[in-house]
Amino acid sequence: MKKISSLYVIDDDKIYHFLLKNLFKQNGIDVASTFFLNGHDAIEHIKINKVEETLPDLILLDVNMPIMNGWQFLEEFNKLSNLPKRPTIYMISSSNNEVDINRSKEFNGAVKGYFLKPICKEDLDKIFIS
Amino acid sequence: MEIFNNPDLHEGDSLNAFYKKLLDQVPDLIFKIRWEKSTEAYAINYLSRSVCDLYETSMEIIQEDPRSVFYERTVAEDIEPFIKSLETSRKRKVKWDHTYRLNLPQKGLRWMRITAKPEKEKDGSISFYGRATDITDHKEQEAKLHVSEQRFNYALKAASEGIWDWNLETSMVYMSAQLMKILGKREVEGYFPSTFWLSRIHPDDLPGYEKSKVDYFKKKNASYESIYRILTDSGKYRWVLSRGRVSDYNEEGKPIRAIGTLKDINQLKEKEVELGNTINIIVSQNNRLNNFAHIVSHNLRSHASNLKMLLDLFKTADEEEREEMLQHLEAISDGLTITISHLKELVEIQTEIKNVKEKLNLRHYLKNILNILHNEIKKHGVNIEINIPLDVTVNYNSAYLESILLNFTTNAIKYSSPDRKPMISYDYEIVDDKKVLSISDNGLGIDLKKHKNSLFGMYKTFHKNQNARGIGLFITKNQVEAMGGKIEVSSEINKGTTFKIYFDEEN
Repeated sequence: MKKISSLYVIDDDKIYHFLLKNLFKQNGIDVASTFFLNGHDAIEHIKINKVEETLPDLILLDVNMPIMNGWQFLEEFNKLSNLPKRPTIYMISSSNNEVDINRSKEFNGAVKGYFLKPICKEDLDKIFIS
Repeated sequence: MEIFNNPDLHEGDSLNAFYKKLLDQVPDLIFKIRWEKSTEAYAINYLSRSVCDLYETSMEIIQEDPRSVFYERTVAEDIEPFIKSLETSRKRKVKWDHTYRLNLPQKGLRWMRITAKPEKEKDGSISFYGRATDITDHKEQEAKLHVSEQRFNYALKAASEGIWDWNLETSMVYMSAQLMKILGKREVEGYFPSTFWLSRIHPDDLPGYEKSKVDYFKKKNASYESIYRILTDSGKYRWVLSRGRVSDYNEEGKPIRAIGTLKDINQLKEKEVELGNTINIIVSQNNRLNNFAHIVSHNLRSHASNLKMLLDLFKTADEEEREEMLQHLEAISDGLTITISHLKELVEIQTEIKNVKEKLNLRHYLKNILNILHNEIKKHGVNIEINIPLDVTVNYNSAYLESILLNFTTNAIKYSSPDRKPMISYDYEIVDDKKVLSISDNGLGIDLKKHKNSLFGMYKTFHKNQNARGIGLFITKNQVEAMGGKIEVSSEINKGTTFKIYFDEEN
């Protein structure tokens, strides 16, 4: 199992940011988390920090976001070459649309899984332990 | 040896016998009838042997009682016209030419034609020299042809099809009466140069017309078929379907004659266009429904899931954490309230029974909105330019008109460029008889290549702007469409954006 020590959360919902932090805390998950409000902010951050130490082990990505949504982020992210490592990506969204769920499988396995909000302890176990 | 030189007709047979032999070989009945001036009666002077075949009788019987043969064989109602025509010919000294029927024991009904030349003699008597011919076959052909021609004409009429027959050597085209009717002309057939037809084809359809012709001549297609618009005498275009084939080629294999039909398919085409419009309406309604499902699925769900997560965390949180969580609970509640109010607003537009339209002065309404936004405009130093005539009115729901003008104006201010003095211009024009208001700004602009499809979608924002909520354009679009109009957008990044509002109203 790959050790997860850092993660990016890309989601436009600030309340969700707060809730996720608390959920980590209550479940004893200790990771360095960076929060972004949309795909654009995250991709810009990645572009200027292309080194092993700052790149995350894990990305939790929302689907519906302003300016750059989850799909657009994935497209841009896949275009980035010579990254020292490839983070594991999970999509976490409140969209239970079949189209979205199926689409997450189209990115050449770049997306490891699709979780529906709300996120609970069991989901975190799947993401962090398995 | 010399042939026919110095013929000796009297050698062997007598001349009479010679003629008789010849006459007997002719299938027609050769006769001579004489009208005697003194008795005022007709007598048969001569009948060729053919009478036996044609009347199914024998020379003996007919010599004995020609009268009975005539009355027995001739169809009863044809007897009187027969005699009448003979009398007319005698009195006027004109050629006797009459058609009548026989009813024969073997062959049944036969058509006969009798022709003879009356010749007056010295004593005032008149002799008829002539022949009678069985024309039944000819009559039958004629009848068949007539029936098939009638059938053909009726079929073409019923199918509203015209016929063209194009002589490629002379470039002249025969056009049938029905075809002339399609053109709105008098229903009379005629010949026209091929340029006459070409000049009437809709310019937009000419390339397609030429292509289908060339494709057929090059044998790419088995037959020629083309759909285009043709100018009628009323000045309007009608959709027609033209189909044809080359009927004759010259020795070099070049087509020299082509024949085909032309069908008026205007009604069909109009239905097709109507259907296309209906599909567009359904697609736009479907899009609205999808957006609707989206707001329910995404926004309500995201609030609900936040609530669920919050409550789960709340159970095990300590006192201090609970305090902070309560604040977030309030935020969730506010978000939920806003989402529900948006939903309500949308449902109202979709189902507004009181979509009351009134005559509203456009300029007057715009001034009101600009007054409301006075502080914003002053704060950003926005230049406003209004090119709307004083008397322009639109038939609209007043609340919608206010909301539409307000939304576009606040958007233009919100997305103005920090690099230049903001400017908004309102221009009124009439496009294709429709009233149109254009609202143009010199702001940030939108990348339409990327965002065109989602521009009017719900909760889509394209700018990093704190106030962007992405609901305004969606509601505005719904309001404009509920009034029967549409919105068009053109934009260039860092140059500005123009929204065109079409009012559903003929000028």
